[in-house]
Amino acid sequence: MTASALTRPGERDRLVVKLSEIDWLFVLVLCLIAGAGSLMLFSIAGSSWQPWAWNHASRFGICLLLLLVLAVIDIRVWFAIAYPLYAVGLLLLVAVEVAGDVRLGAQRWLSIGGFSFQPSEVMKLGIVLALARLYHGVSAERARLSWWLLVPTAMIAAPVLLVAHQPDLGTAMLILMTGVAIVVLAGLSWKIIGAGVALFMAIVPPFVAFVMHPYQRQRVMTFLDPESDPSGAGYHILQSMIALGSGGALGKGYGLGSQSQLNFLPEKQTDFIFAALAEEFGFVGCVSVLVLYAAAIFMALRTAYVSHSHFGRLAAAGVTATFTVYMLINGAMVMGLAPVVGVPMPMLSYGGTVMLTVMIGFGLVQSVRVHRYSEVTSGKGSFV
Amino acid sequence: MTQPAIFFEEVNERQGVFHRRAILLGACAGLGIGALTARLAYLQLYQTERFEKLATSNQFNFKLAPAPRGVVVDRNGAVLAANRPNFRLLVARDTGLDTETTIKTLAEFVPLTDARQRRLLRDINSAPRRAPVSVMEDMSWEQFSAINIRAPELPGVTADMGEVRVYPHGGAFAHVIGYVAKVNREDIAATGPNADPIMMHPSFRIGKQGVEKAFDLELRGRPGARKVEVDANGREVGHDDGGDIAAIPGQEIQLTLDVDIQNRALEVFGEESGGAVMMDCRTGDILCMASAPSFDANRFVRGLTGGEYRALANYERRPLLDKCLSGLYPPGSTFKMMTALAILNAGISPEERVGCGGGMNFGGRFFHCHKRGGHGSQNLHDAIKNSCDTYFYAMSLRVGPDRIAEAARAFGLGQVFDIGIPGQKKGTVPDRAWKKSYFAKNPAQAEWWPGENLSYAIGQGYLQVNCLQLAVMTARLANAQKALNPRLVMSVGGRERPRGSDVPDLPFDPDHIAYVRRGMAAVTDVGGTAWRASQLGLGDITMAGKTGTAQVRNYDKGGHRGKGGPWRLRDHGLFVAFAPIDEPRYALAVIVQHGMGGSTAAAPRAREIMRTALLKDPEILARVQKPLPMPQMTPDPELDLLPDPPTLLTPDGDPIPASAPATPTARGRPA
Repeated sequence: MTASALTRPGERDRLVVKLSEIDWLFVLVLCLIAGAGSLMLFSIAGSSWQPWAWNHASRFGICLLLLLVLAVIDIRVWFAIAYPLYAVGLLLLVAVEVAGDVRLGAQRWLSIGGFSFQPSEVMKLGIVLALARLYHGVSAERARLSWWLLVPTAMIAAPVLLVAHQPDLGTAMLILMTGVAIVVLAGLSWKIIGAGVALFMAIVPPFVAFVMHPYQRQRVMTFLDPESDPSGAGYHILQSMIALGSGGALGKGYGLGSQSQLNFLPEKQTDFIFAALAEEFGFVGCVSVLVLYAAAIFMALRTAYVSHSHFGRLAAAGVTATFTVYMLINGAMVMGLAPVVGVPMPMLSYGGTVMLTVMIGFGLVQSVRVHRYSEVTSGKGSFV
Repeated sequence: MTQPAIFFEEVNERQGVFHRRAILLGACAGLGIGALTARLAYLQLYQTERFEKLATSNQFNFKLAPAPRGVVVDRNGAVLAANRPNFRLLVARDTGLDTETTIKTLAEFVPLTDARQRRLLRDINSAPRRAPVSVMEDMSWEQFSAINIRAPELPGVTADMGEVRVYPHGGAFAHVIGYVAKVNREDIAATGPNADPIMMHPSFRIGKQGVEKAFDLELRGRPGARKVEVDANGREVGHDDGGDIAAIPGQEIQLTLDVDIQNRALEVFGEESGGAVMMDCRTGDILCMASAPSFDANRFVRGLTGGEYRALANYERRPLLDKCLSGLYPPGSTFKMMTALAILNAGISPEERVGCGGGMNFGGRFFHCHKRGGHGSQNLHDAIKNSCDTYFYAMSLRVGPDRIAEAARAFGLGQVFDIGIPGQKKGTVPDRAWKKSYFAKNPAQAEWWPGENLSYAIGQGYLQVNCLQLAVMTARLANAQKALNPRLVMSVGGRERPRGSDVPDLPFDPDHIAYVRRGMAAVTDVGGTAWRASQLGLGDITMAGKTGTAQVRNYDKGGHRGKGGPWRLRDHGLFVAFAPIDEPRYALAVIVQHGMGGSTAAAPRAREIMRTALLKDPEILARVQKPLPMPQMTPDPELDLLPDPPTLLTPDGDPIPASAPATPTARGRPA
C-alpha cells in the first residue's frame, strides 16, 4: 500500500510505531465485551465481585497486556514457531490420552507441576498457525484440488480424533471447523466443498447413533425436543429459553433476573452467561452485545484482508473463524438452536482457559496487523 | 531450503481467492449473527408472555398450610379440644441431599436414637421428592433456634412452628371426642375430600374417632397457601405477603356436654368400669357421657408405642371401649318400668296383688325373687318400690313379650339415635317376631316359650341395651310427655342442630307414666331399694330412680350368685334416676360393669353425678339456698324490747359469747 512506500527503512521496527499500528478500536471492543461479562458475573453472584466478576476482570487485564506484547512480536517469529507449537500440542494430546486426569468422566486435563490445563486449548492455536504456515508455501493450484490436500487433512484429523476420544466433542468440533475454515479460505475447490457437505450430511445420523457416548446422544436428542423431559436432560435448554424469553424487549433489570439469581439457569456463569444477560437486559442488551461481537469479527477479518503475507492472512482469518464459531455455537445453544455442548461465549463467559486462548489468538491477529507489510518468504531469515 | 516457486500472478491469484473467501466468511458470520438476532427477536419479543409465565411458575411456589383445626367446646364454651404451637424439625428429600449425613448432623442438635435414625433414613428416602418428613416434634425453644441458625447450611432441613391437637381434659372426653392422628395410607382416597393434597402435609392430622372423625371435614377448614419465592433447589428465599391465600379455620363445634358433670362422672367411677349418661329431660341434651376407665387422647395424637397400645387393648376393663354407646348390658330391674307400663297398657289394674314367697314355680323350674324370704303381698307400686321379681314373673305371663317390647321401643330401647357420632350398638329388644327371624334357620327354637316371659319381665334373657338407651328411657319417663331424642352436638360452626324436644308425644297414657314415676319415687323413699344410697342432701330436692342388678351368668349351678368371685363373672350394677321429682330436669343412667349391685355400686355414683348437675343449675341452687320460712312470731307491742343481739360466729362456727370483749383479733382474725 501507499503508506509502506513512505516509510523509511527500520521505521516500522520501532516499538512506538508498532504500538500505534495496533487496532485500538478493536481493543476497545474487546474491553467492552469483557466488561459486559464482568457486569453480568457481578449480577449473578448476587451483586458481588466474588467469586467471578473480579477474577474475570483481572484475568482480562492480564490477557490484554499479553495481547499487546504478542502484537509487537514479529510475524516471522509466529511463522517459525508454527510447526513446533503444533507438534507440542499433538504430543500433549497423546500424553493426555496416556496419563491425563479424569474429570467429570472425561480425560481432558494434564497436570504439570501442580498446574493443570487442557492441551486441547494449545491445539486450537496450533492448528491455525500450522495450516497457515503450510499454505503459505503452496500454490493456488495445489490448494484448490490435488492429492497434496491429504497433508492438511491429516494435520486436521490427528488432533480432532485425539480430542474427540477424550471425549470432548465440543472442542474437537471447534478444531475441525477452524481447520476446515482455513482450508476453504486458502482456496479449496468448490467441488470438494460440495462433496464434503454431502458426506457430512450422510454420516452424521449414524455417528450419533453408534459412535457417540450415551450422554452426548442424550444431549442431541434433548435438543431435538427439549420439553420432552423438562426436569431431566431438557432442563438446561428449557431454563435458558425461559430466561431469554422472559427478559422481553428491555429485560427485567440489572440484578433482577429470577432465572439466574435463583439458580434455575444452569452453568449461569459459564455456558449460559448470555442467557443471564438476555434476562436482565432483554432484546436491546442482547443485540448490543451481538453488535460488539460482529464488530470484533469484522475488524479481525479486515486485518486478515489487508495483510500482505499469505501466512498472516490465513492465521488472522483462522483465529477469527475460531472466535466466530465459538460465539455462534454458544449463541445457538443458549437460544435452543443447538444441542448443549460445553462451548462458552468467548470473553463473556467466566473461564480462564478460553479467555487466554482467545486473547493469544487476537494477539496473533494484531501481530499480523502490525506486521502486515513484512515479507514472510520462508522460515529462513527469522531468528528462531 | 529452496524458495517456493511462486509466480507473481500466482501470488495475486492466492490473494484474490483469499479475499473472495474472506468476504464469504464475513458474510457467513453476519448470517449467523443475523440468525441469532432473529431467534432472539422471536423468543424475546414474540413469545415473551409464555416465557414470563414459565419464569414466574419457576420463581414462585404456593406452599400449602393446613388451616387451624376447629375447636370443640362444651355447652358453656369450655374448651375440650384445641390446638397448641409445636416446634417441628422437617427434612425434605431433594437432589443433592445426602440424607445419611444430614441425619447424623441433626442428631447433634436433637436426641435421635440409632433405631430412629435408621427409620428416618428409610422414611425420607421413600418419601416423594421435596415432601417434608417430620424428624422431631415438640422441640424445645433452644433446639428450635439452634436448628434455625444452622438451617441455611443444611439443605432440605427446615424447622418451623406448626399446630398440634391438645385435649385439656385428658381422658374425660376421649370416647366422645375421639382423637386425631397422622394420615394413614388407607385414609387417602382417590377422589373426594380425602384426596386433598393437604393430606400429605406432615402436620396434617385426621380425626380417628368420635366427634373428630364424624365432623372431620367441618373441623378441617380450608388450607391456605403461602406464596414463596424459591430457588432452583426448592429452598425458600423470599415470601410474598400479598400473594398468600388465607386459610379458613375449621368450624367450632359445641357439644351439649358439661365439663364439670363429665369430670365428676369419671371421678366417681374410680377404678370401676362402666358408663354414665345424663340427659336434660326438658331438651334432650346429653350433659354427660362418660365411659370408665378412659385413656389419654393426647397420647394418641403423639402416637402410641406398641407396648402402650397393647396395654390399653389387653386390659380386662377395656378402656378403649365406649361403654355408653358400644357396650351392651342386660338392663336388669331398671327394665321393670317398661314391664310395668306394658302391664298397665294391657288393662291390668295396678292394684291387683301378687303374693311373693321368694319366687315362683314355672314349667318345672323355680324362679327366684332377689329376696329369698319373699315380699309378701305386692301391688304394682310395691313391686317397683321393692323390685319384687315374683310380681313381674306372674304378670309377664298375662302380658306377653310383644307388649313389653312395644313399651321398651317406645322409650328408646333397641334404637340407634342420631347423635352425630358413630359407634352406637343397637342392642336387642326381643319379641315373638324377633325370635322367629333370629332363629329362622332353626325352627325348633323359633317359638317364644312362655318361660322366656319371666326373665324378660325383669330385664334379663335376650334383652340387651346400652347406657345411652337407658338414659333416653329415663328421660322420657321423667319428661312424661315427649319422646325426647338425645342431642350431643349443639352447634357446628354456629349453626344449631335440631333440638331433642322437637318430637311427638309418647304413645302412652300420661296417668300410666305418672303411676310408674310414683313407683320410682318410692324406690328412693323410706324403705325403697335405693333409699340410703340416693339421698341427695339438698333439702326438698329429691331424686327418683330404679336400681338394677343384672346377672352375667346363670346361677342355677349354685355358687356365689354373682356377688363375688372373679371380676368378669360378677353382676352388673345399674341405676337410673331423675331429679328433682317435682319438676324433673335431669335424667341419668349409670352402669357399673361387674359392680355387683345396683343399690351399692351404681346408686351412690348416680347420686354424686346428680348432685353436681343440680348444684350447677342456678334455679335449683336458688331453691337449695332459699332460707327456711321464718317461724310465726306474735309481736307483742307492749314489750318494747330490742331484739336479742345477733350471735356472732367465729370462722370455725363457734358462737362468740356476747360478754366476750369484741376485740378486732377475736372477731376478724383469730390467732
